[in-house]
Amino acid sequence: MSKNVITLSLLFLLLIPAQTVLFNHLVLFNVAVPLVFIYLIIVLPVTMSANVAMTIGFLTGLAVDILSDTPGVNALCCTVAAFIRRPVFHAFVSSDIDLADQLPSTRTMGTPAYLKYALTMTLIYCILLFSIEAMQVFNLRLYLLRIAASTVYTFIILYAITLLTGRRHEKRL
Amino acid sequence: MKELVEFFRRYSKWFVFVFYVVLSCVMLFNSDPYRRHLWLTSASTVASGLYAASNNVTSYFSLRETNEDLNRRNAVLESEVVNLREQVQRMKLAEYTDTLQLPDSVGHFDFIVANVINNSIHRPFNYLTIDKGTADGVRPEQGVIDHSGVVGTVSVAGTHYARVISLLNPNFRLSCKIKGSEHFGSLVWEGNDPSGALLEELPRHTVFTVGDTVVTSGYSAVFPAGLPVGVILEDHKNHKENFFTLRVKLFADFSRLSNVQIVVNNDRDEIMAVEASDASTITDDTGIKVKPADRQ
Repeated sequence: MSKNVITLSLLFLLLIPAQTVLFNHLVLFNVAVPLVFIYLIIVLPVTMSANVAMTIGFLTGLAVDILSDTPGVNALCCTVAAFIRRPVFHAFVSSDIDLADQLPSTRTMGTPAYLKYALTMTLIYCILLFSIEAMQVFNLRLYLLRIAASTVYTFIILYAITLLTGRRHEKRL
Repeated sequence: MKELVEFFRRYSKWFVFVFYVVLSCVMLFNSDPYRRHLWLTSASTVASGLYAASNNVTSYFSLRETNEDLNRRNAVLESEVVNLREQVQRMKLAEYTDTLQLPDSVGHFDFIVANVINNSIHRPFNYLTIDKGTADGVRPEQGVIDHSGVVGTVSVAGTHYARVISLLNPNFRLSCKIKGSEHFGSLVWEGNDPSGALLEELPRHTVFTVGDTVVTSGYSAVFPAGLPVGVILEDHKNHKENFFTLRVKLFADFSRLSNVQIVVNNDRDEIMAVEASDASTITDDTGIKVKPADRQ
């Protein structure tokens, strides 16, 4: 458990500055935004209490909001993402008994299940985020393009992070 | 009582969820960018510290472009100095010195140079963070320009950092006119193209051609008159309305802003005081009709 606390704290301290200083500026063609900090929500242990998960989600979103002057946008999306994380997880993995206190990863879930889970979470996050932005300035073509391009772009980077941090020995459930 | 506690415990997940969602929505829909708590913006101590540290590294990457811009600007100013010197010389020779009245619209303004340490261009509402704050004389609602044109206006000022509402933000409307004409309109960003904006509410009888320069009108305490903003690209809307809406290509390249100047209007307090006392009848002694600041 304490190992998870340290890992999550390190991820928080690493991903949020990386998102705001680096990835916010790596927008492709003005449509594809890499939302790398959602990795923090994706890897929250499934068995973690929903209240703690939502608090972590809210604080993560709030930190990104403060740093990028988007008050409330990411805080709202992260809270919702942390809330629905568990049902999404169970759509791909039937039971969480073996996963007590484990962070979701290719090692603990198996590569196909983890990638499907990460892709679904990324897609949901992008839909939430760009729907909120569309409430302010709406343009259907741009809205759909941003969701699709940002999901793919973010997912590729998340996959790269997974490859970098993943271990070779996979355990399939 | 026990059942009540049990009820709250069982549904705590939903209570926490609703609490955070409501809290986020309050921040989200409280949209006045001038009424933000400093610590909720990128000008807060932690955020600006982070951006200042990263800017220490990244500012070197654009040195070549910055240098080229400065050289170009230097050449323009150099030729302007030469021209003005010649002009003054000619007027001296013509013995007009005692009656010479040089236009003094810039006389009320000072400029503070600042570095952009954070900037966004792809969001619906964009902001910049600069490394000058109240300690350097920066105040909310001061204009921000760079060497090529208008950039935005200060919204929240911390001690050493400030957050600027970019021209690429629909909350910011800039009073502009077409160079050489006295008709003015309102420039606003429409939300997707970071290189252009719309000049709205321009009277139908205004004469213009594509390629004309759009400059600030000076009808505010924020920007002096005549600062370049952009060039007209095309007539944007149908002609049934009583106003033109023109598409304008902006001069400032928001994707690589590095150095900006904050426009300090030394008469601003006086203008504001007069404006507050009776906004309908004021025209000050320089002929500037005092309107509310550029934002509406």
